[in-house]
Amino acid sequence: MLYIVFYFQVHQPFRVKNFNVLKTKSTVEYFDNSLNAAIFNKVAEKCYLPANALFKELIERSDGRFKVSYSLTGTFIEQAKRFRPEVLHSFLDLVKTGGVELLNETYYHSLSSIFDLDEFIEEIEEHAEIIKKEFGMLPTTFRNTELIYFDKISDLLFATMPQIKTILIEGADKILKGESPLYPRVSANHAHLLLLKHYKLSDDIAFRFSDRSWDGYPLTPQRYLSWIKDLRLIEKTGKNLYLNLFMDYETFGEHQWAETGIFEFTKGLVLLALKEKDLQFLWPSEVKDTLNYTPAPISVPNPTSWADTERDLSAWLSNPLQWNAIKTCYELIKKAKEQKRYDLLSILKKLSTSDHFYYMCIKYFQDGDVHKYFSPYSSPEEIYRYYMNILAEIETNLEG
Amino acid sequence: MKVLMLTWEYPPFIVGGLGMACYGLFKALAEKGLKIYMILPTKEQVFFEISSGWEADFPVAKSQQKKQLKPLPLKFYQVGYLAPEGAYLDNLRLFSYQPENTTDFLEKKKLLTTISEEVLKRIENLLNKGNHSLSRVQRYLQNVLEVAKHLEFDLIHAHDWMTYPAGLFLKHLIQKPLVAHVHATEFDRAIGYGHPVVHEIEYLGLNLADQVIAVSKYTAQVIKDHYKVPEEKIQVLYNAFTVLTNEPKKVKKFKSPVILFLGRLTPQKGPKIFLEIAKKILRQYPKKVRFLIAGAGEMERELMFEAASEGFGTQVLFTGFLTRQEVEEALSLADIVVMPSVSEPFGIVALEAMYFGCALIISKQSGASEILKNAYKVDFWDVDKIINIIVDLLNHPEKLKNLQQKAKEEVKKITWDIRAEELIKIYKELFAN
Repeated sequence: MLYIVFYFQVHQPFRVKNFNVLKTKSTVEYFDNSLNAAIFNKVAEKCYLPANALFKELIERSDGRFKVSYSLTGTFIEQAKRFRPEVLHSFLDLVKTGGVELLNETYYHSLSSIFDLDEFIEEIEEHAEIIKKEFGMLPTTFRNTELIYFDKISDLLFATMPQIKTILIEGADKILKGESPLYPRVSANHAHLLLLKHYKLSDDIAFRFSDRSWDGYPLTPQRYLSWIKDLRLIEKTGKNLYLNLFMDYETFGEHQWAETGIFEFTKGLVLLALKEKDLQFLWPSEVKDTLNYTPAPISVPNPTSWADTERDLSAWLSNPLQWNAIKTCYELIKKAKEQKRYDLLSILKKLSTSDHFYYMCIKYFQDGDVHKYFSPYSSPEEIYRYYMNILAEIETNLEG
Repeated sequence: MKVLMLTWEYPPFIVGGLGMACYGLFKALAEKGLKIYMILPTKEQVFFEISSGWEADFPVAKSQQKKQLKPLPLKFYQVGYLAPEGAYLDNLRLFSYQPENTTDFLEKKKLLTTISEEVLKRIENLLNKGNHSLSRVQRYLQNVLEVAKHLEFDLIHAHDWMTYPAGLFLKHLIQKPLVAHVHATEFDRAIGYGHPVVHEIEYLGLNLADQVIAVSKYTAQVIKDHYKVPEEKIQVLYNAFTVLTNEPKKVKKFKSPVILFLGRLTPQKGPKIFLEIAKKILRQYPKKVRFLIAGAGEMERELMFEAASEGFGTQVLFTGFLTRQEVEEALSLADIVVMPSVSEPFGIVALEAMYFGCALIISKQSGASEILKNAYKVDFWDVDKIINIIVDLLNHPEKLKNLQQKAKEEVKKITWDIRAEELIKIYKELFAN
C-alpha cells in the first residue's frame, strides 16, 4: 500500500514597523498592524478561504477517505481572531468534518529549539493549549519551525511531552544518504516515529507548479498521479510506503495563484487518487498503526530544515545581523522572565518568530530571490535597524 | 542689492550641510534687506524669490513670467553623482543664445575676469560626455540661462561645483560678477582624487570666478593647493547653524551614556573610525556605553556587519536616515558627539551638537574646529586619544557637565546674522574693485 500524508503549514508573523529609539512617544506599538492586517486579508482572500472550502468539499465528498493535516501557529490564530475571524471559523468548520489532524509546534514559529530549550518547551505547551482551547484537540504529532530537526529535539520531547509520538522532518539528502523518504524512520533514541518529507514531489506542487521553464509543465493530475504510482516500484517485499507531501498552505492560491489552475489540479488529483485501490490518504498520527515492518533508526546530529537549497539553518542564521539580533532577543526573553515582566515578554516572544531573521538574510541567486519575495522590507539592513531599535527600547524598559 | 543664488540643495530637499547652510545664509541676508533669487535643480523652469525671513522658510516657486505657481509638485533632480559611465545627453547649444535687453548690463565693470569661448566649449564637452548626474548639471545650466534672462540682479553666487557651469555661462552672457562658494570639494567627498570631470569643473569655476568663498581656512588651503587659486581671491566665511527648537533640553532615554555619530555613512565622515572606537570601548566596558550611529549612506551594510559580528547586542545602534526633528532628538539624548571626519570643509553638526549641550570631539581635519574653543580637537586617525578622552569624560561626570555647559554657551554667539554681515562686506569689496 502507498499512503499519502498531506501536511500544510499555516503561519503569519507579527511584522515589525518602522521604528527608531528617537521616537519618544511612550505608548508605542512595535508591530505594523495595518501591514499585518493587509497581508492577512490578502492571503485570506486568495488562499485560506478558497483552499479551506476546497478541502472541506473533498473530505465530505470522499466520506472521510480524504485526510489532511495542518499546523496553525499561535501567531496565526491570534491574527485570524484580530483581523479576520471568518478565517478561524472556516478552519473550525474544516476540523468539524473529522478529516483533519492538527499538529503541535512552537506557538511563535520560533527558533527556540536552537537557542533556549526551556522556552522551546514552554512554547510547545502554549501551542498545545491554544489548539485545545480553539479546536478541542490534543495533538500527538510534532513539527518544529520550518521542519528543523536534530536528535536532541527527540530526546527533549521524550522527556517532557509524552503525548508526542510522531515528528515530521525534512527528507534531506544529507541525512537519507541515498535512502528513500518513503520509509518512516525512528529517532536515534527510538522514542519517536519520524516522517520524512518527499521534497521532490512536494516542491513540484509548492514551487514548480506554474514554472513554464520546468519540464513537468503543465502539470496535470494524471501526470502527477503516474509519478506517485511509479514510486511503488522501489518496494518488492510488500512494505507499506508513505509519501509525505508537506508544504506551506499558501501554495494554494497565494504562491501559486488561482489563475495557474492549482485548485483544479488539487481537486483533480485527490479525486483520481481516491479511485485507486492501493492508494490511501492518512494522517501523520496514523502512520505508526499501519506500519507492517520495524522502521530503521536514523541519526541527525546537526540541524536540518526544509528551508532554501541548503536545508539547514542558514536562512535565519548565516550572517552577523541575524546572529546578533536573535542572540539579543533570547537574552532579553531570559531577563524578562527573571523580572516577571509579562507585558514585555509577550512582545519579545512575538519578536522571536523566525520570519524576522529570514528577512535579514543576505544570500544570492535563487534563495535570495525567494527571501526578497517574502520580505515586506526593502533590505535586510532596514528590518535589522527597526528590530534592534525595538530591542533597545525593551532592554531599557527592563533596566528599570 | 539683488543676488542670484545658484544652489543644488535647499530644505526640505537636502542631503547634507549645503542645503542647511544656504537656508541659514539666505534667510539672514533677506532679513538684512537683500533680495534673493534662487534657482534650484527643479525639472520645471522656476525660480524662488526671497526678500524676507518668512519667505526663506517657505519659498514659493515662480515661473519666468513671475506668476506664482503651485508650490508642489516640483520635481527635483536627485543630488549626487555616479562614476563616469560613458553616457552623453542631448546637445547643448545654449551659448549661441543671446538674451534680450542685456545691453545696459554690459556697460558696467570691465575688471571682471572674462570667460573665453574656449572655456565654455570645454565645459559643454565635459557635460556632454558625462554620466547621468553630469547631464543633470547640464539641464540645470539650461534652466538657469532660461530663467535668469527675465530677472534683474547685481551678482551671481554659485554654491558648489554643480552650479559652477551655470554660473560661468551666465557670467559670460550678462557680464555680472560671479562668486563661487565652496562648501565641499571633490577632494573631501572622495578622500583624495575623485571624478576628473568634477575636478575640472571645480578648477574652472574657482579660477574664473571673481570671488571665491571658502567655508574654512582648511578649505581655503585645499583651494590654494589643489586648484591653484591665488590667495587674494579667496575669502573665508564660516558657517553658522539653524535649529528648530529654541530651548535645547537633555533627554535621558537610556541608562548608560550615549555617544553619537551623526552624518552620512560615507568614508569622508569617518564612521568606520567611530565604530573602531565603539568596539574598543565596549570590549573594555561591556554594556556600559551606548553608541548611536545616525545617518544613511553606502557604508551602512559594512558598518552593521562589523558591529553585529562583535555581538554587542543593542549597544551599537543604527537609526537610518533622520528627519530634522529626529536629528535634534538624537542630539538631545547624546552625551558626547564624535565627528571623526577624514576631511570636512566645515561640519555644521559640530555647532548643533554644542548647542544641544553635547561634549564634542572633532577631528582637526574639520573646518569647524578652527573656530571652536570648548571642544576636543584630535587627528581623525588618533583612535586611542579619542578613546582616552571619552573614558576620561565618562569617569568624571563633573568635567563632562562643565564642558557641555561651556559648549552650549560658546555657540550661542555663532549666528547666521553675523555671517550675513560678513558676506555683505565681501560683496561690497567686490563692487568697490
